[in-house]
Amino acid sequence: MSAYVVRRVISMILLLLLLTFVVFVLFSLLPTDPARLTCGKSCTPEIIEANRHRLGLDLPVIQQYWEYLKGIFVGRTFAKDSPDPVVCSAPCLGYSFKRGEEVFVLIKEGFPATFWLALGAFVLWLAAGISVGVYAALRRGKWQDKTVMGISLAGYSLPSFFLGLMAIFFIVIRLQLLPYPSYVSPFENPTQFLQTMILPWIVLAILYAAFYMRLTRNQMLEVLGEDYIRTARAKGLPERIVIRKHALRAGLTPIVTAAGLDLAGLLGGAIITESIFSLPGIGSLAVNSVNDADLPLIVGITLVTATFIIVANLIVDLLYAVIDPRVRLT
Amino acid sequence: MTDLTPTPRRAYIEVEDLSVQFPTEDGVVRAVDGVTFAIDKGQTIAIVGESGSGKSVTAQAIMGLVNARTADVTGHVWIDGQDVVGMTDDELRKMRGSTMAMIFQDPMSSLHPFYRIGAQLTEAVNVHNKVSKKEARDRAIEMLHKVGIPSPEKRIEDYPHQFSGGMRQRVMIAMALINSPSLLIADEPTTALDVTVQAQIMELILELQQEYNTAVVLITHDLGIVADAADQVAVMYGARVVESGVIDDIFYAPEMPYTLGLLASVPRLNQVRAERLDPIPGNPPSPIRLPSGCVFNPRCVYTDRVEGDLCATERPALLPTSPGHMVRCHMSKEERGVVATIALRGLGREET
Amino acid sequence: MGMANKGLRLAAVGAVTALALAACGGGSSSSSDSSASGSAGSGEPTKGGTIYYLTNAEQFDQIDPQRIYTGEDLAFFNGTIYRTLTAYKFSQDAAEGTSLVPDLATDTGTVADGGKTWSFTLVDGATFQDGAAITCADVAYGVSRTFATDVITGGPTYAISMLDIPTAEDGSSAYKGPYTGEGQDLFDKAVTCSADGKTVTFHLNKPVPDFNYTTTLLAFSPVPKASDTGEKYGDAPVASGPYLIESNKNGKGGKMVLARNPKWDAASDTYRGAFPDNWEVDYGIDPKVIDQRTMTSSGNDETAINLGVEPEQLAVVFKSPTEANPEYAGRAISTLDPYVRYFAINTQKVPNLKIRQAIAVALDREALRKNAGGDFSGDYADGVIKPNMGQDYAPTGMWDTLLGQKIPDTGDPEYAKKLIAESGEAAPTITFDYPQSPTADKAAAIVVDSLGKAGITAKPNPIEPGQYYGVVFDPEKAHELINAGWGPDWPNASTIIPELFTPTGGFNLSQYDNPEYNTAVDAAKVELDRAKQAKMWQDLNTQAMKDVVVVPTRFGREQRMTGTKIGPVYLWPAYGSWPYGQMYAGQ
Repeated sequence: MSAYVVRRVISMILLLLLLTFVVFVLFSLLPTDPARLTCGKSCTPEIIEANRHRLGLDLPVIQQYWEYLKGIFVGRTFAKDSPDPVVCSAPCLGYSFKRGEEVFVLIKEGFPATFWLALGAFVLWLAAGISVGVYAALRRGKWQDKTVMGISLAGYSLPSFFLGLMAIFFIVIRLQLLPYPSYVSPFENPTQFLQTMILPWIVLAILYAAFYMRLTRNQMLEVLGEDYIRTARAKGLPERIVIRKHALRAGLTPIVTAAGLDLAGLLGGAIITESIFSLPGIGSLAVNSVNDADLPLIVGITLVTATFIIVANLIVDLLYAVIDPRVRLT
Repeated sequence: MTDLTPTPRRAYIEVEDLSVQFPTEDGVVRAVDGVTFAIDKGQTIAIVGESGSGKSVTAQAIMGLVNARTADVTGHVWIDGQDVVGMTDDELRKMRGSTMAMIFQDPMSSLHPFYRIGAQLTEAVNVHNKVSKKEARDRAIEMLHKVGIPSPEKRIEDYPHQFSGGMRQRVMIAMALINSPSLLIADEPTTALDVTVQAQIMELILELQQEYNTAVVLITHDLGIVADAADQVAVMYGARVVESGVIDDIFYAPEMPYTLGLLASVPRLNQVRAERLDPIPGNPPSPIRLPSGCVFNPRCVYTDRVEGDLCATERPALLPTSPGHMVRCHMSKEERGVVATIALRGLGREET
Repeated sequence: MGMANKGLRLAAVGAVTALALAACGGGSSSSSDSSASGSAGSGEPTKGGTIYYLTNAEQFDQIDPQRIYTGEDLAFFNGTIYRTLTAYKFSQDAAEGTSLVPDLATDTGTVADGGKTWSFTLVDGATFQDGAAITCADVAYGVSRTFATDVITGGPTYAISMLDIPTAEDGSSAYKGPYTGEGQDLFDKAVTCSADGKTVTFHLNKPVPDFNYTTTLLAFSPVPKASDTGEKYGDAPVASGPYLIESNKNGKGGKMVLARNPKWDAASDTYRGAFPDNWEVDYGIDPKVIDQRTMTSSGNDETAINLGVEPEQLAVVFKSPTEANPEYAGRAISTLDPYVRYFAINTQKVPNLKIRQAIAVALDREALRKNAGGDFSGDYADGVIKPNMGQDYAPTGMWDTLLGQKIPDTGDPEYAKKLIAESGEAAPTITFDYPQSPTADKAAAIVVDSLGKAGITAKPNPIEPGQYYGVVFDPEKAHELINAGWGPDWPNASTIIPELFTPTGGFNLSQYDNPEYNTAVDAAKVELDRAKQAKMWQDLNTQAMKDVVVVPTRFGREQRMTGTKIGPVYLWPAYGSWPYGQMYAGQ
């Protein structure tokens, strides 16, 4: 197993390298001139050229890539020969001249809001999705099942901006049950944090829970027909143990896969939800970076998001082995 | 010899007019229709029939494993004087695995793939007994040892996929008998196994039956394994018992045409001509649309021996033909004798 | 005036990509359009309360007074925390709302030396938030910061071009700002203080009759030298107005809170109302949420203001492009913004007037306006000066008479063909330069289609928006028809006509160079009689349209609204903004 992990981590690093390269080359092929974008309103060709040099954009793409890669591990300094060099310390994912800040720092600042949003929604949607999915499976074909599935279909097809706006409109604006969302760290002001996060959690959870309800229900129906479930009942196990310990555990594998990848995807930012609930997360950062054509930031966010997904893939695969002893990691 | 008539409740286990119906959108499925039999501790009854004949549902109904939400179970299953039909879920659950236990056809899929053998065995102990972890584990190891698993104290840590099919069935047997049940239902316990392993498993079941003095209900489609294992046989067809009796009645004096067909299709060592292995032509009836007369009527080749259209119109009753031997057929006893002689000719048994 | 450098102009044209930058709107006495359903809001001005400013922006571009250059921000900060020598009067009326009043100065300035010397005397009792009296030195120091172009970026640079300090050929000043101190003596001669420190005098390099308009810019607001932290000054600026920045946290969920400046002396400031106790700018709110909150107007949102209404709510809030629905009457306005959208015709490449006329005649302006958003996006334009520019505007008759006959909004391809026949040239093939966006792509298709009907072959040339003006200002690269937009820097067409239609202008996309016209422009620029000057601008506007130097397509329009307890609700013509310094939270 440890050999497997080592091998997977190595291939993961190779994949990330490849990804950085592809992203880097792709963005360098764009018609947008990053040097032109750095110099704001009063731009002369001289300033553009100077900035091009400052950013190292006058180097061949391969060498730029090498500098970028090196920067991730040892940091780098832009405009070394100017009197006012810009130091970007390791891990340097680039420097946003637009914002005058290291890309890594910007992402780090956006991460907590996104992390808490994703985590809270994740817990909610898994809890709701799995429990309701199991409930529906146990009442297969009955009105409870049909109701749940109907609701889940509706939840599934609702766009998040609609759901989010409705939540804000009715709960916050009309009924004034909650204050306007204003993100703070949970360690700073837990009450305000919860008041801000509860709606986005629910909105995001509804969207995802709908899918997990269906997935869980179908998995459970499949597993409940298995022989070992009959065995468990024949042993005289109480039904709740049969469901939880025997059926659910066996039906978990595809749920874990989906959950792992969904969570990783969300850590890359939930653009619409963050926007509607004014959460200063990575999704907002991504939108702004695109609006501002802030290339270093776009590349940085792309890489970080991709890294989450690649790492999540590894974790999911490792979890398989934990869940299902038949899976051999070799 | 047990009297198979239902009235005196003397036997340890008595199944009386057991019926199971599943209402579906296409109509009512009669899976089991008025099954009746009885056995004592230490005895074995084999319920024989094709798939779809209702024998497995009978077994599950006895265990209370038929989902009460989707099926109607009527009749009685008396175990030591208690009727399990009509028990609450919890009462039933407490009996399952302790008083009565079950092993299944496919040992490959009957063990939970994600849990260690030891955990699955101790779970069976713990659910019915308040014992320490150590005691449960010792009990598991002891049972594994009993069913012939080598070095059980090591294998207890293994997962099901690390065992062969035969070994898994041994594990299933160990699990079923770990709480010394008085009733063991073995639902096609050897069907999925290699021929060489089949005999070992049957031998093991019988051996342990002796040790625990268990009543065994052996569900099988294979008359071949019945002869050595069972004291009594009930042949099921189309959700009903069509013939029942002690082993000799069924093997040496069968009367019902379906039983005759079954016997004819059993491969015999002394059988020389392959064409003798006659599968019964036709298919078993659909449990939704059972024939209105004799359920076997559409496949029966002897209906011309019955007066009028009786086989197609009237349901024959299960009637005694000799003490303890019951037959469900419209033919007269004489005709049945003639038919049996014809059918079993060449099988080297009509002389006996 | 046309003194602003080219970079500044580029900023103004950000309007093309819908970034409202650097716009100081003009005034209008024209009845045709001003604030549509503006009103005095709810009752009489009341002290107290908080005004909530809801914005999708996650921060202010700049907070440093010398670097602020967005119309809305200039109005907001000028109305709350920074005082300037002169200011625009708070009024809904286009002319009045762009007229000057004194703020930090006792009057709107004293001109001498034929417009080359301007003096302002400071009022008594004006202090910074630490209680220190504001002196001439502080004003001079503030102005001096704009010279440090490497540190104080983004703001207007009028001082550099106007003050009597030698400049190098590339326009850079011999004075490098207070941080290096290079050329400080030159600056100290150009901006002088009286012995009592009460009067500041600006010495200009040539006559600037409307210099006191320039001094309304925050770039001319005072900064105490001791508190200047250079590039970081915006993080902790020193207030001179009735409010100070109590806290500021950028980003989604962040806010800026303004609290009363205890050292502000109301007696020294007759300009601002200073009604609410607090201002709270809520950053990073989704535009759809802003709409919902403002429309619902419950709780704190009763005293909320916003800067725009999303397209899907326009029909809910407004009855017509000029009038709000009864439910929102008095708190929703739909008014002309400062911008004019037009297509410049490159007169070097299309020298034949008849051909230029044919292009103008053939264009389907109705389809173009519909593509831009229909009625709410703006009115048909007849020139480059808008009705909300006040006295400088007069209808040019472009679509009625100037082109020989009345031209329908959908274009007149037959008449265009006739004009081409009269030109003595073959039907031209032209290329249309535009900054690429989905909407602009559709507009380009309309251009190609409608010109095609008149036999003119047009080829679309989409250009990456970030590089757009770099391309079209290059005579080598610019084509025949060029998409553009322009808004004035202050309410005088001196910031429009010379910029767009003379070779020395910063935004002459048409590459128009008509000696007679140039002479007339020069005369108008130095005309000291404002009424006379206005007439001159009107004529020059009409003249340019007659010569079809550009095809004006749209006078841009914008919508915004407030909660139910905000007053007064109108678009302040001075900046095309809310009249922040006069707003109150009703009770």
